[in-house]
Amino acid sequence: MTEPAELWRAAPTELRPDEDPYARFLEEVAKVSGTSARCTSAELVEEILGQISYPPTQQIALTADLGDARPVIGRALIDAGHDVYDYERIADDRETVRHLDVTVTGCLAAVAATGSIVTGGSAGRGGALVAPTHICVVEARRVVAGLADLMRLAPRLGAGSMIALQSGPSRTADIEKTLIIGVHGPKRVHVVLLDGVVTTP
Amino acid sequence: MTHDPLTETTFAERAREQLAKPFLRTAVPRATDHAANDLRARFADHDYEGLRARGADIRSATIADLQTHLDRLVAAFAANGVQVHMAADAAQARAHIRRICRDAGARRVVKVKSMATEEIELNPALIADGLTVTETDLGEYVVQLDNDRPSHIIAPIIHKTREEVRQSLSRVAGRELPDDASELTGFARETLRDAFMDADVGISGANFGVAESGTVVLVTNEGNGRMSTSMPRVHISLMGIERVLPRLDDLAVMLPLLTGAGTGQLITTYVTMISGPRGTNEPDGPEQMHVVLLDNGRRALLGTEYQDVLHCIRCGACQNVCPVYRQVGGHAYGWVYGGPIGAVLTPLFRGQQDGGELPQASSLCGACDDICPVKIPLHDLLLRLRRQRVDEGAAPFKERLVASVWAWAWSSAWRYRIVSGVASRLMQIGWVSRVLARRGPLAGWALGRSVPMPARRPFHRRRSDD
Ligand code: SF4
Repeated sequence: MTEPAELWRAAPTELRPDEDPYARFLEEVAKVSGTSARCTSAELVEEILGQISYPPTQQIALTADLGDARPVIGRALIDAGHDVYDYERIADDRETVRHLDVTVTGCLAAVAATGSIVTGGSAGRGGALVAPTHICVVEARRVVAGLADLMRLAPRLGAGSMIALQSGPSRTADIEKTLIIGVHGPKRVHVVLLDGVVTTP
Repeated sequence: MTHDPLTETTFAERAREQLAKPFLRTAVPRATDHAANDLRARFADHDYEGLRARGADIRSATIADLQTHLDRLVAAFAANGVQVHMAADAAQARAHIRRICRDAGARRVVKVKSMATEEIELNPALIADGLTVTETDLGEYVVQLDNDRPSHIIAPIIHKTREEVRQSLSRVAGRELPDDASELTGFARETLRDAFMDADVGISGANFGVAESGTVVLVTNEGNGRMSTSMPRVHISLMGIERVLPRLDDLAVMLPLLTGAGTGQLITTYVTMISGPRGTNEPDGPEQMHVVLLDNGRRALLGTEYQDVLHCIRCGACQNVCPVYRQVGGHAYGWVYGGPIGAVLTPLFRGQQDGGELPQASSLCGACDDICPVKIPLHDLLLRLRRQRVDEGAAPFKERLVASVWAWAWSSAWRYRIVSGVASRLMQIGWVSRVLARRGPLAGWALGRSVPMPARRPFHRRRSDD
């Protein structure tokens, strides 16, 4: 058996030692049909607003893993004319969940080599899943190199009952192998890579 | 399922039926070559062989000590609040799942594509209990609408045209849906969304179960795996006992092998690791999580010459490269698993009497061995099954007769010379070869080919003449 340190030579799901994790992360997000932006904490609210068109009024849920930034983002979205909910307050209300247009979440980690964002049951299983558009805020410090690092960290992520890796929007190729983006999960996944941590600007 | 093609028809009959469908023979190679190319591209700068070697090591070490890892898995599940149920066979597994549904007062069930649930023929049992069961993987949904069977481990409707899918979904819609894969998918999304929201129970398989952490791992692309394990108030996972992995670390090796070999993706859109029901402070998720551990013939393979088949991670790659599967498709194999892995599993799980002819449906080209991400020696296993069938006297009389004459004629140099000399002379006579091709033992083989002429002077003669 080869030494575990050499896994990157064998698995494309690891980072080469000389690779820039942020550049690779955004590259992989694009490869799995996701979109992305990179910004500072001060630009975060503006970036999210820019991703959600108005009119019409959109139904938007925000998850608790956005931390301190949640009330600020929420206020800005309400001011822009949208209906905004805290995800944990509506999670059991199927009608509201069913009609969500956008969810905005944070994440516990992101995997550079695969372009994956990692959310946890602690902030809700459905938050990143139920709306056609998902916007995910990724603090730079949460980006890990590859799957091996993620698995090492997994028990300490505070993920609760579920660790969910998502790489781009949902897809199927069941009908004559035609690739269709947007099945049961989101049709659009936008990743905001935040230089710095989520703070109140 | 009341209808059992494996016992009701022969491989030849099923294959003939499938060969009559021209779409199948173009669709399967087209789709599967795509996966193989993506795999090559993904691993171009990487040591795929090195990764396979690690994967093979992990799987064989785990299976060699299966009971220890299972004990750990069960303990870790219990510590996470997961209720574990042991099922020795399909009937017990069905009974567990039916009881869980009954106790939960369930009426509606959503399912995530799972070969294990196909194996235990779960749906008819649940429907008989009065439950509404909805398959939520797009392909499986269409399979269910058509009362069909999946024909590929990971691409269940690889055998269907877009037009066939359109017709099935149009029946549900009550109107003619447009001939457009995107619109058809959109319709299925909307219809199935209600099913997710209203379901009481979500049933999934398990791609892996991690012993260290008590985690069920689901690998999907559509998001239905996530929906089915997030929305309903009960989650049941049916897991083959061989799917255990000792450590979370092992996933860093097994996930890229599974998705690489399976679909050529670096990673599937969703990899969902579930370690229990909704926690006390969590906003959503099922109140109960059950894992049903399915034996159904697996444990009996431990310590036999077939133990290696338990390393399988059901990636489907061996189907993709199999020249027989690529022509006849999955249905010809008559049971749940098709292709080389099906030709091995079916006689092992269903017995030589019913599945014994499947290992014959192989040219032993070894393409499956070369692609298998965990290096299962499929073609050795096929050969062992063939031998076992003969040893058990399960092979038909004609086959045994031909084999013994063949063995007799070829096991001494002079008998070989005489027999091949006579055969070659006879075949030069036009009418003899024509009759042979039409009615003789070569008739079936010659249906789609012309019978090659033996050389006038056999090779061994030419060499000694030179
Ligand atoms: S036998 Fe190997 S190639 Fe075939 S499905 Fe199993 S793991 Fe994949």
